Parts: sequence; structure tokens; C-alpha cells
Amino acid sequence: MSKITAKLSAEEKKMLRQTYWRSFTLYSAVTPAKQGASGFEYSMIPWINHFYKNAADKKAALVRHMAYFNTNLAMSPFIMGVTASMEKQNSEKSDFNAESINAIKTSLMGPLAGIGDSIFWGVLRVIAGGIAISLAQSGNFLAPIIFLLIFNIPVQLVRWYGGQLGYTLGSSYISDLYEKGLINIMTKAASIVGLMMVGAMTSSMVKFSVKWNMVMGGKTILKTQDMLNQIFIGILPLGITLLCFWLLRKKNVSINWLILGTLLIAILLALVGIV
Amino acid sequence: MYEAFAVAIVVFLTVGGQELLGLTMLGRPIVVGPLIGLLLGDLPTGLTIGASLETIFMGIVNIGGASAAEPGLASALAVAFAINMHGGLGVALPLAIPLGIIGLQIKTLLYVAVVGPFASRFDTLAAEGNERGIVRLHFGLWGLQWFLYALIPFFAMLVGSSATQAALKLIPAVIVHGLTVAGNVLPAVGMAMLMKILWDKNISVFYFLGFLIVAYFKIPLIAVAVMGVIIAILIAQRDFQVHQLQAKPVAASAVDHSDESKSQQEDDDFFG
Repeated sequence: MSKITAKLSAEEKKMLRQTYWRSFTLYSAVTPAKQGASGFEYSMIPWINHFYKNAADKKAALVRHMAYFNTNLAMSPFIMGVTASMEKQNSEKSDFNAESINAIKTSLMGPLAGIGDSIFWGVLRVIAGGIAISLAQSGNFLAPIIFLLIFNIPVQLVRWYGGQLGYTLGSSYISDLYEKGLINIMTKAASIVGLMMVGAMTSSMVKFSVKWNMVMGGKTILKTQDMLNQIFIGILPLGITLLCFWLLRKKNVSINWLILGTLLIAILLALVGIV
Repeated sequence: MYEAFAVAIVVFLTVGGQELLGLTMLGRPIVVGPLIGLLLGDLPTGLTIGASLETIFMGIVNIGGASAAEPGLASALAVAFAINMHGGLGVALPLAIPLGIIGLQIKTLLYVAVVGPFASRFDTLAAEGNERGIVRLHFGLWGLQWFLYALIPFFAMLVGSSATQAALKLIPAVIVHGLTVAGNVLPAVGMAMLMKILWDKNISVFYFLGFLIVAYFKIPLIAVAVMGVIIAILIAQRDFQVHQLQAKPVAASAVDHSDESKSQQEDDDFFG
């Protein structure tokens, strides 16, 4: 991968490293109005100081990057790299339209947040969590460390190389990926892994069994849970999960109501002795 | 006093820390639980409750600032109380859920009322070209916001421990049983949240495949993940081929044809 930075100067490599470290703090001072604006600014300061020696240009660049910024954190160094490459052009060419920088930034934020959130929050975190939970349940003290490693190693690689790719390839790269349809193919592939994991975890983590049996004349004539298991193992947990999903997706029931409802129904069922 | 301090520090460094060290998942229950357990001298309880709360809060994602609960504060306090009372998930769960919701409300309040007003100050500093001021404010606001947030667990531990203990003793056994049942069902809500992110009609069968292979074959989750990656690679390869075929302009088909027949021949050689 060292090929990516082969053509860059030592100074540029240093600034890419600074952007990598500074972008950790993207959401340190999130405001409702501008989200990660100050973090984006903080990450861009080395570039701004490098490209603009004139005080007025520097101020203009500082104002430019204090604009609304919100995306998936793992994707942010890529956008910063693209932005830095455009700032470089802006500082070199007098006819460069500085407004296009924020336009490109904004156009990258949305799609990259979408991919990043589903890959990192929806898939990678779920895999890391699922593995760590089963380790923790068997008493393995390394569970939290393994969770952090499984999640963070890929994220840090994406952040590290993302910045380099963004800077060297510029904004044409991402639109190229879009045209080739690679983004959609990648998102679909990641979602497949995610959905399979969620299905697997529905089976291993959602637990619900019926204690109530049909009794006639002091004799148990029907063991409800055994009967249900013969139909399909885990039919109740699966049914409950699909019901929750349906309520969330089609009925727009809020998550807090779902949690509260589940609590109340469980207590009610315990009171009447069904579970 | 030590306990209150320890819990407050953990909340500050994990829930606050993950905002400074973005997207590192430091504030998840599976990390916070064992950490509290370690500091309060009962690592096994911290680990098991942390894992249980992680399954419940699995679906709580923090995307674009929108969330349903703040799992970090909830886990820290629930685990601390459970350790103090020598209780299990039955003690931790009824505390964790309301705490998660309250925690989010307070987090939102701090973000709107404490950090929010500084947005215009940032703009002024940028217009003045005051780089150092921007950096100072950027980190200062982080410290202020999470210091204030960490005061909640501090005082909750200081005054809440004995009161919570007394209140929990009043709960009848059948309700505690109901709460334990709820704790086992609640991951369903989390799974539903995740499905909402990932669901697409064309690939929904894979959800059921994942469920089936664990329910019937008891395959460990890591193996399911690897199987999922293999299936995803196969499908991505096929999608890519289909996409390339579609992308080829009709006019160029004659030229492409020879290429294809060449690769066809190579395949034949390979299998022959």
C-alpha cells in the first residue's frame, strides 16, 4: 500500500499523518447546528497553514471549513484528503472556484455516511459484539479487548489509507467508483454478512420459552415448548423479533415504546405464569 | 466515595473518551461493564452483566447524533449497583433501561444547551483567523461537556446506592422473574433495529439462513461471520460480472465477443 504515497513529498506525508491523528477528535465539540465543524477545522489546520501564507487567504480557508460537517467517522479522513487536494489546487490556481470545495465535501458526506454507518455500525460492530458476548458468557476476561481489536483494526486501516487515497486520487475517484457501481455492490455484500449475523444472533441471544403446559386431570397432556420446538426451533424468538421489526419499520413505533412494551408484557406473562 | 469516583472516571474516560477518540466503541457495555467490575473488585459480574447489556443495547446505534439510549452511563451504574447488591441481571436490568434513556436526555441537553451556543463563537474565531482559539475551544468544550456528564454517575453512586437497594428489595420475586424474562427477550428489539439498517428485500433470505444454521446446527458466531463473508464475496463477484456485461455498449459487442470466447477457452483448458 505504500504505493499510494510514493509520489508525495515528506511534508505531505507528515500532514496526512497529522490529519489521521487530528480526525479522531472530529466529534469532540459537536453542536446541533454544525455537528463536527470544529473537528473538521482542527484536522484541516496543518494543510491550511501549509498552502496559504497570506493572512486573508488563511482566514477564508478557516471560515470555509467551519461549515456543517457530518459523516461516518471512519470515512472522514478520506473526505479530508479530498478536501486537502482541492485546497492545494485552490492555492496554486487563481481561477479555481473555492466554493466548489465545500460543494464536493457536502456531496461526499451523505453517501459515505450511508456506506460507513452500515458497514461499521451495522456489520463490523455486530460481528465484534457477537463474538465478544459469547466469549464473555463463557467467562473469558479478554472479551472487551477482543471486541475493541476486531472493531478498531479495520476502522483504523480505513482511516489511515482513506486519507492517503483521498489526497492522491482526489474527488474524481469516488464518482468513478459510483459509475462503476462498485459502491452498491460493496454495500450489498456487507449487508449480506450483517443480516446473516443478525439472524444468527437472533437465534443465540433472543431467548423466550413457554413454561405453561396443558394439564388435564392432574396429567400433563401437552408440553407446549416441546411442541413448539418440533414445529421449528426458536419459532417464538424469531416471531417476536420479526414483530418488533415490523412495528419499527411499518408502524414507526419508537424504540423506547418497544422496550417498555416488552418489559410490561414480560412481567404480565410472568404474573399469570405463562413464562 | 472511592466507588463514586471510580464510576465517574470510567464514564468520563469511556463515554466521553469515545467522543475524543472517535468511533472506537469505548463506551459500549461490553467494555464499560468489565472495567467497572475490575475497579469495584468483581470482574466476573462486570463481565457477565456487561455482555448481557451489550446484547440488549446491541441495536442502539449512534448514527448522525440520533439514538434511543446512552448505553455507557446505564451500564456503568447498573453494573456498579449489581456488584454492591450482589445481584445479577435481575438487579441490573430494571436500572439499566431507564438510566439509558435518562442518560441520553442529559447528553442531549448538554449538547444543545452547553456546547450548542458556542457554534457562533467558533465562526467568529474562524473569521478572525484565531487558530489557537479554535483548538482551545474544540478541546475545552469536550472537557466541559463530559465533566458535567460524569457528575451524574458520581452523585448517583453517592446518594443512590442505599436508596436503590431499599427500593429493589421491595420488588416481589415474580416481578424480578418477569424482568429476567424481559432481559432475555429484549435483544429482539436490538436485532430489529439492526434489521432496519440492513434489510433489503433482495437479500432478506440471508437473515433466515443465519437464524437457521445457528438454531439447528449450533454453529459459533465467528463461523457464521466467515460463512457470511464467503457468500458475500461470491455474490459481489457475480454482481460485478453482471454489471460489467450491462455496462458494455452494444456497438462494441463484436470486439468483446472475441475476448469472451478467449476467456471461455481458457476456462475450458482449465477444466479439461
